[in-house]
Amino acid sequence: MRLILTDRSHEIRGKFSPLSLGRPLWDLRCGMSSLRERLVGRIRPGDVAYFVPDYMEEYYRTQVAEPVNDMTALAGHDLVILDPLVKADGLEISGKGKSEVGLDEQGRVLYARIGRGEVERLRGGNMDEFLASAKASLPNVACNLPVWQYTWDLVLANGEQLKADFEISGRSGIDGEVEEPAAIRGSRKDVYVAQGARIHPMVTLDAEHGPVYIDEGAEIHPFSRIEGPCYIGKKSILLGAKCREGNSIGPWCRIGGEVEESIIHGYSNKYHDGFLGHSYVGEWVNLGALTTNSDLKNDYSSVSVMLDGRRPIDTGSTKVGSLIGDHTKTSIGTLLNTGSYLGAMTLIMATGKPLPKYIPSFAWFIEGIATKGFGKGRLYETAKTAMSRRGCKWSAEAEAMWDAVFEMTAPERNAAIKKGRKMLFK
Amino acid sequence: MATVEERVKAITARKLGVDEIKMEDSFTADLGAESVDSIELVAMFEEEFGIEMDEDAALAVQTVGDAVKFIAEVCRQQGVEIES
Repeated sequence: MRLILTDRSHEIRGKFSPLSLGRPLWDLRCGMSSLRERLVGRIRPGDVAYFVPDYMEEYYRTQVAEPVNDMTALAGHDLVILDPLVKADGLEISGKGKSEVGLDEQGRVLYARIGRGEVERLRGGNMDEFLASAKASLPNVACNLPVWQYTWDLVLANGEQLKADFEISGRSGIDGEVEEPAAIRGSRKDVYVAQGARIHPMVTLDAEHGPVYIDEGAEIHPFSRIEGPCYIGKKSILLGAKCREGNSIGPWCRIGGEVEESIIHGYSNKYHDGFLGHSYVGEWVNLGALTTNSDLKNDYSSVSVMLDGRRPIDTGSTKVGSLIGDHTKTSIGTLLNTGSYLGAMTLIMATGKPLPKYIPSFAWFIEGIATKGFGKGRLYETAKTAMSRRGCKWSAEAEAMWDAVFEMTAPERNAAIKKGRKMLFK
Repeated sequence: MATVEERVKAITARKLGVDEIKMEDSFTADLGAESVDSIELVAMFEEEFGIEMDEDAALAVQTVGDAVKFIAEVCRQQGVEIES
């Protein structure tokens, strides 16, 4: 059976902005793995093919070996087409059985199981048309599969997912190096230090309330305290960090200060002191020294987040920190309000006051207002430099994708710049 | 309507807090503009003249005189009426 992951709805992708701007939804993370890894691990298909938004098609081809937006990948296989936001835990869909389309109450296709014989009979020049054809001609089944609704759902579920993932990994014990004196609290069976990982002296691994998984090549510097459940990704370095419960970090991150219940994608740095809580941070982000976010309002009311710069969404949770897009950089002393949104490729220069809760992608936030700054060319130059420092390359495909994101996000950025200019002339 | 030169000088004076501005003054060396000031100056010129400037080209301008020439040219290209 071939698993088809499809992520084509602009509206649904918007609920995961800014993290969705530079990646398909299945590459979002929760626990120790991505949504894709969770789904593939659960369904165990023969192979996988992807259907991504057109603007990231060429870029995504450089990221994966499997077919991307290739309609010929549908032929000759029994297919399970899956919405990547369907939660993998407890999911029971196999390639065997009648062809059918599973719909939620709003008629959104959550899955389609299509036998290879049926595939030939369905029409469509692209995945959207193909799915519409499947929905129209195959039996529709009402289903209430749980789905991820917003980015903060992933953050809030991270602790429990970490516990489950540690269990599934079956790993336990010390394959790496733990220098004495070190303290392991809780049960040693709830700690795993992978091969090549190094725990310096004076580190506490606290597994009393959840497991601690330190992956290959990670390095934990003295005076770090890691509280489980927690996952430290490959080649990440913790620099005297107070790593509270519920964090997924890495790979290749540099983390200091205090971090709590947050998901941080690869190659992002929060090297220095400052608090990050209940946040989702993209890749190639740099948080300057003393960057601190609020994740709890003073009146303990539910946190709202703006994803489009216009309309706040009530998260229903009292604990939501910041959503920070790929390649965004904050200056020293940046203060982020509860439920803040920092777009992708954004550059923040602190003002001493908490920032506005919504800063659009590619904005240069300077002297308290959003500006065009030095433009996207300079942001690309910075991205190239940051990537080269980790042995990675900025590509023409990446630039084309980010150019498209620049255009897509122009309306909200221009509105913010216009608002800023009014303030400039006051 | 004031000339482009007068308007550029007025905005520069207001933003950088400098009383006397000459056409040959460098924004950075003579008037003390930091990179942040340059970004804000570009924004203020765009608002003042109702034009859109290419960031890289605008920020490459070194002197007040060059800014006057550059803005006048952008106004001409974008069909914005100015006093010469």
